[in-house]
Amino acid sequence: MASWLLGRSSRILIHQHHHLHKKYLPFLLGPFLNHNNSSCSSFPSTEPFRCRDAFPGKNSSPTLFRFSRHESTKAEAQLELEQDVATEDEPNQVIDFPGGKVGFTSEMRFISESPEKRVPCYRVLDDNGEIVKYSNYVQVSKEMGVKMYSDMVTLQTMDNIFYEVQRQGRISFYLTQMGEEAVNIASAAALAPDDIILPQYREPGVLLWRGFTLQQFVHQCFGNTHDFGKGRQMPIHYGSNQHNYFTVSSPIATQLPQAVGAAYSLKMDGKSACAVTFCGDGATSEGDFHAAMNFAAVMEAPVVFICRNNGWAISTPVEDQFRSDGIVVKGKAYGIWSIRVDGNDALAVYSAVHTAREIAIKEKRPVLIEALTYRVGHHSTSDDSTKYRGTDEIEYWKMARNPVNRFKRWVERNGWWSDKDELELRSSVRKQLMHAIQVAEKAQKPPLQDLFNDVYDQIPSNLQEQERLIRKTIEKHPKDYPSDVPL
Amino acid sequence: MTSWLLGRSSRILIHQQQQLHKGPFLNYNSSCSSFRSTEPFRCRDALPGKNSSPTLFRFWRHESTKAEAQLELEQDVTEDDPKQIIDFPGGKVGFTSEMRFISESPQKRVPCYRVLDGNGEILKYSDYVQVGKEMGVKMYSDMVTLQTMDSIFYEVQRQGRISFYLTQMGEEAVNIASAAALSPDDIILPQYREPGVLLWRGFTLQQFVHQCFGNTHDFGKGRQMPIHYGSNKHNYFTVSSPIATQLPQAVGAAYSLKMDGKSACAVTFCGDGATSEGDFHAAMNFAAVMEAPVVFICRNNGWAISTPVEDQFRSDGIVVKGKAYGIWSIRVDGNDALAVYSAVHTAREIAIREKRPVLIEALTYRVGHHSTSDDSTKYRGTGEIEYWKTARNPVNRFKRWVERNDWWSDKDELELRSSVRKQLMHAIQVAEKAQKPPLEDLFSDVYDQLPSNLQEQERLLRKTIQKHPKDYPSDVPL
Repeated sequence: MASWLLGRSSRILIHQHHHLHKKYLPFLLGPFLNHNNSSCSSFPSTEPFRCRDAFPGKNSSPTLFRFSRHESTKAEAQLELEQDVATEDEPNQVIDFPGGKVGFTSEMRFISESPEKRVPCYRVLDDNGEIVKYSNYVQVSKEMGVKMYSDMVTLQTMDNIFYEVQRQGRISFYLTQMGEEAVNIASAAALAPDDIILPQYREPGVLLWRGFTLQQFVHQCFGNTHDFGKGRQMPIHYGSNQHNYFTVSSPIATQLPQAVGAAYSLKMDGKSACAVTFCGDGATSEGDFHAAMNFAAVMEAPVVFICRNNGWAISTPVEDQFRSDGIVVKGKAYGIWSIRVDGNDALAVYSAVHTAREIAIKEKRPVLIEALTYRVGHHSTSDDSTKYRGTDEIEYWKMARNPVNRFKRWVERNGWWSDKDELELRSSVRKQLMHAIQVAEKAQKPPLQDLFNDVYDQIPSNLQEQERLIRKTIEKHPKDYPSDVPL
Repeated sequence: MTSWLLGRSSRILIHQQQQLHKGPFLNYNSSCSSFRSTEPFRCRDALPGKNSSPTLFRFWRHESTKAEAQLELEQDVTEDDPKQIIDFPGGKVGFTSEMRFISESPQKRVPCYRVLDGNGEILKYSDYVQVGKEMGVKMYSDMVTLQTMDSIFYEVQRQGRISFYLTQMGEEAVNIASAAALSPDDIILPQYREPGVLLWRGFTLQQFVHQCFGNTHDFGKGRQMPIHYGSNKHNYFTVSSPIATQLPQAVGAAYSLKMDGKSACAVTFCGDGATSEGDFHAAMNFAAVMEAPVVFICRNNGWAISTPVEDQFRSDGIVVKGKAYGIWSIRVDGNDALAVYSAVHTAREIAIREKRPVLIEALTYRVGHHSTSDDSTKYRGTGEIEYWKTARNPVNRFKRWVERNDWWSDKDELELRSSVRKQLMHAIQVAEKAQKPPLEDLFSDVYDQLPSNLQEQERLLRKTIQKHPKDYPSDVPL
């Protein structure tokens, strides 16, 4: 009967929420009371009928009732604009089913996908780095703009250097953010330090923005004793408690329902913060994506889902990943607000994430952002993407559609950035990275005991025994043990 | 690199399709020359079509004229600047300078298709698939048979003669009308509340009873709980308890039918609660991407045991999920047998002819308890149950229609109910007297051949029974 418990707790929650918004009582009770009365009395039945005992609201349209719980005036405007399905044939005739009143039609019409009419993509900067006419966006100051651009350049430089370091066999694995720098940095810029980040793996820019040092990035990639993760995971699986950045794990999409739980916890604790989780287009095909979206909606969790639709999941193009109009249309399927944004436009990403965050926290609801972009680099150092896509296509996105170059044009046009600044920044980051790599390469690996601790909070006896056994084996075969790993 | 293999085979498939539609595709290909770029740009090497909008390209693979009409009607979001578009993987997309979030539309729900009104009269201007007398009478008879089965089996369980049962009360129209709209070659993958489909296909009352009693005549050899019916002969996959697992299986079966060039589809059923399982998501997406001829029929009866739909999802039901996957969908009055029949009939045609999935959400109400292990008055009022049982009863509604057509009379009704009742009573007597399956059936069919470790386990069990014969049930043959 677990589902009963869930149902019960949810209804209690709804009641509490009702209580918390007394100031909206007139608005709330108006449509509710009106609806409740009419719906009961209008049932064409010769039998006596009573509203559901458990909770009066259950007989009202849950979606209508739910609408009243949110205060956004935009929602009201949105309602007027949204006409997903053609007008009802008989506008005044409705039938009642669980889940609310629904109009009926005598025309048998299937809702099709709309292959020629796609949800538009929000953008603020055109390809020349100019603000699009009549664009509504959240302003970015000079300080913010310069920091955003600097971090985008830093990401680029990190990628170039780390990629080469892997090719030289000095680290075992790496994956780049090439082409997706705007999604990384602009998202981070729009968030608050208290917002909890649950990344996929191609979002280290968020951690960079939050103050994770270049040295720390390098330590993790080298898996040395200074790595917070104690060298236990592959390179790029960064994490930091201090920066509210959950440690990356390889299984795709597992972080999505975890983010919903974290968001629910933030809500229960009354925090003015949300959970923000990232995923690629390929992750949207995992069952955990489905679980996360549905739980987020039903539990009214303040979480922002940011999907980097970069066109590829390793070698799988989006047309073999889904046949919908991308990911933005999936929001409505769960009752989640959604928006599609130009992922190569830092200002558009910033504005959308900033607003989504506000909506999530203020209205305690999930929001979905699909950032359209392109994966310029290989999937990872284990991939040669020219095996499945042409080099000219890669060059096109690298040059003509480069998000860093586009944003640079904007900050330059504002008079915030110069060629001199550019040279100084790139040189400085390069030096810092080279130095960080030298430091990391000289550092020791984590000690052997780190292989056994942190499995549980305390080391159980069977693991103690295993550690003892391996130490005995090492004593017998000392030459087989690597010299740079302390015992 | 399995994803590469998948990608490759899919592109080969697309290439084959391309050859069939050179005209419109070649015309669209001109989009390559329109790219505004200062760099030389070439279409993707793997397949020129990859740079065309896959959704537009895909449109040409389907022939339905309705689709063309639909396209004119669908206006999900208006573009601010209709002439300006930007190219991203996945196709061209218009852009907007207005930051607008697509919201759910709580006050504007997808309408529900119905043909018969509450009085069993055809709605004015209704477009539906005609049902003849023979078909109509059989549909009604099977709905009544289902009702009678439910009444009797429920009581038999209450008497402890079978261990478990769940009824179809309130959902008879979805069951029978769906089955009537299908062909015997269509493969059925049920959830558990759709035995009406098997009934329609000729599974005898006796066979239903044998399964519920788990005796030696049960095709399933008594291995599963009651109501977990299955029949190879009737193309009805055996029911299993884990929710939604049959959905991606149906997609695979449909894909196989397509590869074999069969003029048939897979049809799979689920409840509203099943749509929350990850397997629902996998099935829908695979069906769309693999272009599988499968019809998904979701019985949205308002409840998943004690969980009401408002705690199951916050969308406008299930019909809106179709678009999220690129799957055509329709919402139908599940208590209207003619509406269900028409929608399923048409969905089947679309699936087979266009080799694509279709989703049907049938709105209905679970009148009975979830199962014999549930007392639904603990979480919903009896007045509500009575309302759906009487005022909204699908069997009564259809009866009014067949009576109005003069296809049915009170005399026919009495004869039918009496006859079914007798057959069931007799079937139960036969089943109760039959032996249980032999002990060896506990070990066979785990694999095709009995491996040595299972042989050993059987031998050990028999030895234990020899030592403790009194502990072994007398009606199970050794």
